[in-house]
Amino acid sequence: MLRIAVATSVLAVLAMAGGFTFEIGSPVAAQAPAAKTAAFAFRARGCSEPSKSQITAGAEGIVRGTRRSTVLNVAAMEKPGVYAVFQTWGDEGRWVIVLKGVCGPETAGAIVPIGPKGFIRESAKFFSRPATAAEVDASLKSLVEGGSK
Amino acid sequence: MYKDQVYSIAHYFFHGDSGIAADITQHVFLKLINNVNQFHGDAEFSTWLYRLVVNVCLDATRRHKSEPIAANSNLEAFARPGSQEQDYAKAQAAHIVRKAVSALPVKYRMAILLRYFEGLSYEQMAQALGCSLGTVASRLSRGHRILAERLKGFEGGKL
Amino acid sequence: MRIFNRHVSDRLAAYVEGAIDANLVRRHLAQCERCRAEYADVQKGMAALENLPVVEAPASVWNSIESVLDAPKRPTFNPWKFGFALSSAVIVASFAYWIVMRSGAPWDVDGLSGSPVVGTRHISRAGRVAPGEWIETDARSSARIKIGHIGSVVLAPNTRARVVATRPQENRIALAHGEIHAEISAPPRLFFVDTASGTAVDLGCEYSLYAEEDGSGLMRVTRGWVSFQRNGRESLVPAGASCRTRTHAGPGTPYFDDASDILKRALDTFDETSSLDALGAILSASRVRDTLTLWHLLSRVSAADRGRVYDRIAVLTPVPAGVSRDRVLSLDRETLTRWKDELAWTW
Repeated sequence: MLRIAVATSVLAVLAMAGGFTFEIGSPVAAQAPAAKTAAFAFRARGCSEPSKSQITAGAEGIVRGTRRSTVLNVAAMEKPGVYAVFQTWGDEGRWVIVLKGVCGPETAGAIVPIGPKGFIRESAKFFSRPATAAEVDASLKSLVEGGSK
Repeated sequence: MYKDQVYSIAHYFFHGDSGIAADITQHVFLKLINNVNQFHGDAEFSTWLYRLVVNVCLDATRRHKSEPIAANSNLEAFARPGSQEQDYAKAQAAHIVRKAVSALPVKYRMAILLRYFEGLSYEQMAQALGCSLGTVASRLSRGHRILAERLKGFEGGKL
Repeated sequence: MRIFNRHVSDRLAAYVEGAIDANLVRRHLAQCERCRAEYADVQKGMAALENLPVVEAPASVWNSIESVLDAPKRPTFNPWKFGFALSSAVIVASFAYWIVMRSGAPWDVDGLSGSPVVGTRHISRAGRVAPGEWIETDARSSARIKIGHIGSVVLAPNTRARVVATRPQENRIALAHGEIHAEISAPPRLFFVDTASGTAVDLGCEYSLYAEEDGSGLMRVTRGWVSFQRNGRESLVPAGASCRTRTHAGPGTPYFDDASDILKRALDTFDETSSLDALGAILSASRVRDTLTLWHLLSRVSAADRGRVYDRIAVLTPVPAGVSRDRVLSLDRETLTRWKDELAWTW
């Protein structure tokens, strides 16, 4: 609970400070029927022109010891800056979703681990830049070793 | 109600032409009344009805060769009575999607409208359209993909 | 493990609608970028269609049908044959009118186990249930009702329900007792379940609803949202949350299933008795995610206690701009909605 409270506060501070950042939530947070079956929703905060932002997502996974990557379609919702990610990665293996965003001169990134019951909010990591390959690998390793619930 | 569903299918199939839609609906129900003794219950009633709808629409297609209606943007026609307070943006969105559906090739257009407005199962659609289950599946897949392609950039509240 | 090595383009609509086995297609999609792009397009096409409303046939359509039927016929030389033909036309016209005007088409029913009963008919594998008909399962039977093209409802054993309406804009069941599991893929507010303690309004979801004869029961949502309403009291229940229902009080206060036992027990007590001790326990035991419960409590506690609930939410998560304490305490609807939309990002 403490970790979630800290994460929430950090996000709020970043957003209030004008930093471009991502925030994730369950599909209902998108307030759109189209997102109902999404793996999770997310929004780009602190972006002055959401319609001009470029948001991409990919799934990085380990399936039976083999590293896998797949590009994901990011679905824009009706509300500007709100998006949904739908599962098109396999059920096997362990996966993290890597978000990247560009808003003018600013960038943002996030790594969202996926568990048996869906996205693992408390293990998600947020950056004011794209996540590095090493950070992605570290998240995956932690997920595989059971470091994330 | 059946009459609204039949009318809706005819309305969107014939590019929003309410005159043709009314003719089609009248034609379908008169045929139904005149041939009701031919319904033996060996197929679901709705399947039998929608086989009629398909045949009547396809016959009319050959007769009318109608062009998509451009000026007849009678947006109030999209609203049910009593919903005049409906958001104009929603009516606009309906108009855009309706035009895209109208521009679909006939076989995809009919499959999509049957599935969307009446919710026939794939088996029922195969009987109504006179084709195989696989053909139903592929027409729906292809039809939706063409629709999405035509609606690229459409942000009318949906994906 | 079998995977579709060939592209699955032609199966994508059936996959989205659950008409085929999902596993093989899903595994292919995980490895095929082209099919993934096409899958997204199929979804977009389906979503776009939600912009098309049913268009009501103008009254002139039926008037013109009637006028054709009423058109004078040339007198025949056999008045008996003429009379017979005329009365047959009246009968078939009445039949057609009934078909046209009744409140919707029957729904398909699959018997999943045992022998469910529809009306007075036992069904083994497949049947139909029309508006107005009851469907009932005993201890050994269960059934699945296909709700038009928008989803399905599974009736668990010992369940009794009536189909109320099967119209495009209103698909409605009344649950007398027992348990159902609904899986709906449609725009919101097209599927409704009435119970003695309130109405569950689908907002795009998958959920289970259990009800006793007196309407008390439990709703558990696994996907999307459900609104449970009675007499102006509404509980919004998102995925991962549940809501008790009580005959005399309607929908209870929703809570997440992973909330602490202390919170759940205290909430149960509060919903029954409005106990201040129970409220205190709820506030103490609440986490960030439990702001779902706390937000609902704002309108269910006395004005004197509302400030405590507001303060607890404000401790757990920053209050967004535009949400003032005064407006919350006065239960300003717009303010509460804005706060809910923000809090939903923590649920």
